[in-house]
Amino acid sequence: MKILIADDSRVMRQIVVRTLRQAGLGDHQLIEAADGKQAFDLTTSESPDLVLSDWNMPEMTGIEVLRQLRAAGNAVKFGFVTSECTPEMMQAAEAAGSLFFIVKPFSAERFDEVLAPILG
Amino acid sequence: MSVEVEVNESDLAEMVEQVWESYLDPEGISPLIPTYDANQPSEVHSSVSITGSWTGYVVYASSTEAARRAAGAFLAMDASEVSQEDVSDVLGELANIVGGNVKAMLPPGALLSLPQVTLAPESTARFPNSQRIGGVYGLWEGEPVSVSMWHGRGEKHEEVAV
Repeated sequence: MKILIADDSRVMRQIVVRTLRQAGLGDHQLIEAADGKQAFDLTTSESPDLVLSDWNMPEMTGIEVLRQLRAAGNAVKFGFVTSECTPEMMQAAEAAGSLFFIVKPFSAERFDEVLAPILG
Repeated sequence: MSVEVEVNESDLAEMVEQVWESYLDPEGISPLIPTYDANQPSEVHSSVSITGSWTGYVVYASSTEAARRAAGAFLAMDASEVSQEDVSDVLGELANIVGGNVKAMLPPGALLSLPQVTLAPESTARFPNSQRIGGVYGLWEGEPVSVSMWHGRGEKHEEVAV
């Protein structure tokens, strides 16, 4: 499977990659986006099976990416990996079609718990 | 309308501890040792602003050496191998992580900014009409690190040229 990691922090993208490996999910093909617009464009052009997206990013926020993908008819599995997690954000994300929230700081166990069922 | 902050120093300390457990000291051998010294020196700092239901800043400040060690810990590299870009990225992410966790405890309607990183002491930053309302101050492997909260009235963050 192909997983897109969208985060404006290069270091955080590396940590997500490392944590995926620690969670035993590192065998998937991993691609990266450095801002919201790139996340939207790569999701459209690369057709990943799953998008792990930060919320707060330049160009487009994660929720804007998700909404635009859905508006364009793209049903990719999409979830957030973010330091922010409020009830209002979770409601907005769920309403837009997000599958999950992983809050920073996170552990490999949390990744495994959330992603293993989704990735099969 | 701005409300009184609902995040206290104990909450902040818990968030900082989680950051240490997850990224800076996963093996539990180099904790942040509290100094309770709000005036301890720093050489670099990063901040995020929160606006809306509560207005203020979350500021991460440390020595340059502590910032390099943090970057090394985040990247699983030796601190001597990290670039200045790595250090800036990690400093921003540290403010972002704590700021995001602070925001999660505030009433609905708060917005978090993207982080700002300044490779200069926290003392060079000015948060007009804001005051520091609490913080976690400590030594990490002998190097100063602090995370503090500033409560303001919505004015823009201004850096003072040095």
